[in-house]
Amino acid sequence: MNCQDLQRLVHAYLDYELDLMTSLDLEAHLNECSACRARHAEMRALRDLEARQLRFHAAPAPLKARIARNMRAACGNDDARRWRAWRAATAVSVLALAALLAWVVLPRTLPGPHQVVAQSQEKMVYHIANSEDVATALRNVANLLEISPDARIVVVANNQGVDFLLRGARDRDGTPYEPAVSRLKVRGVDFRVCNNTLARRRIDSSQVIPEAKLVPSGIAEISRLQTREGYAYMKL
Amino acid sequence: MMPHVDAAYNLAWWLVRNRADAEDAVQEAFLRAYKFFGSFRGDDGRAWLLAIVRNACYALRGQAPGAGVNEEFDEQVHLPGMVAEGSNGPFCRNPEDIAIQHADRELVNRAIEELPVVFREVLVMREIEELSYKEIARIVDVPLGTVMSRLARGRRLLHEAIVARMKKESPK
Ligand SMILES: [Zn+2]
Repeated sequence: MNCQDLQRLVHAYLDYELDLMTSLDLEAHLNECSACRARHAEMRALRDLEARQLRFHAAPAPLKARIARNMRAACGNDDARRWRAWRAATAVSVLALAALLAWVVLPRTLPGPHQVVAQSQEKMVYHIANSEDVATALRNVANLLEISPDARIVVVANNQGVDFLLRGARDRDGTPYEPAVSRLKVRGVDFRVCNNTLARRRIDSSQVIPEAKLVPSGIAEISRLQTREGYAYMKL
Repeated sequence: MMPHVDAAYNLAWWLVRNRADAEDAVQEAFLRAYKFFGSFRGDDGRAWLLAIVRNACYALRGQAPGAGVNEEFDEQVHLPGMVAEGSNGPFCRNPEDIAIQHADRELVNRAIEELPVVFREVLVMREIEELSYKEIARIVDVPLGTVMSRLARGRRLLHEAIVARMKKESPK
């Protein structure tokens, strides 16, 4: 491998998209070439920056309501059957439209476990994908526990949302997160961290506070809780 | 309560960069997805939905998806001379030069917003949606190698843009 190859491949390497042999070649070149080591360090810094700073634009609530209305209006029996077939085909993949279907279409047209999904008030999975949402999420969880102390609550963090579950994490005012997380944990709230995110951002799992548990994929975990265990989904 | 609406809206926003168009594109995409889910043959519903969202965004602009992309431009990453160019570029700076780790959120997001759409879309899919190269290749409908070179080129452009913006904001 030469410097040109490295420049072409370094991002795929950092994205874990290179095969093992090519990765080893690349690492060998990094060991002997200081110019490429400098480039590699620059690119890591850039990617950390992207991971920390890139904004997630969540859909505005009125848009969600409009789409839900459209779906309901467009729904006939034949379509519902085809939806179900499609949903079965995607069951292993990330939620896709399945979740939408479970909420919008199935409770009206089909019997079965999906009604549990829509009706369950006591099992909630909170999804935190953004560090800006943490304060709101923790407040909502605490409020929900006030109203309904027996509620089963799982908080799943991925992307930039994992930061508050790392050792020494503090909010904007400098207050550490861990005591708040501990208090909720004692009251039965489960915190789960996406291992894909850790791998992608090269965060060592020892950085995660002991109150939180690792799951292989945050998205898959949310999907599983919704479809298998009847949790309702709360995105912040 | 509809997680994929958020993913769909986020991608749309990054493609069209304003709320009104993003909302239109997402609404249109869900109608199309609903209409055509019978033709869905695959195992990744999210990637399928995002492909529809992307098409809706391009349609809104009256463009074919990927219109205006010059693949030779992509391939510049492979051309000889890149390393020499790179070593005079932002990768070989003096230690007192700006450290991009300190770039603030606003600046980084602006820099990404201003990247050409072909690079912006792959960056957003990779960084926010955490899609694999294979999934991105399917959504954008290009070979895997093109995804790789667009990401490499896009990140290089982004790096340059961030450095340029930081220099402008903090003149020595
Ligand atoms: Zn080298």
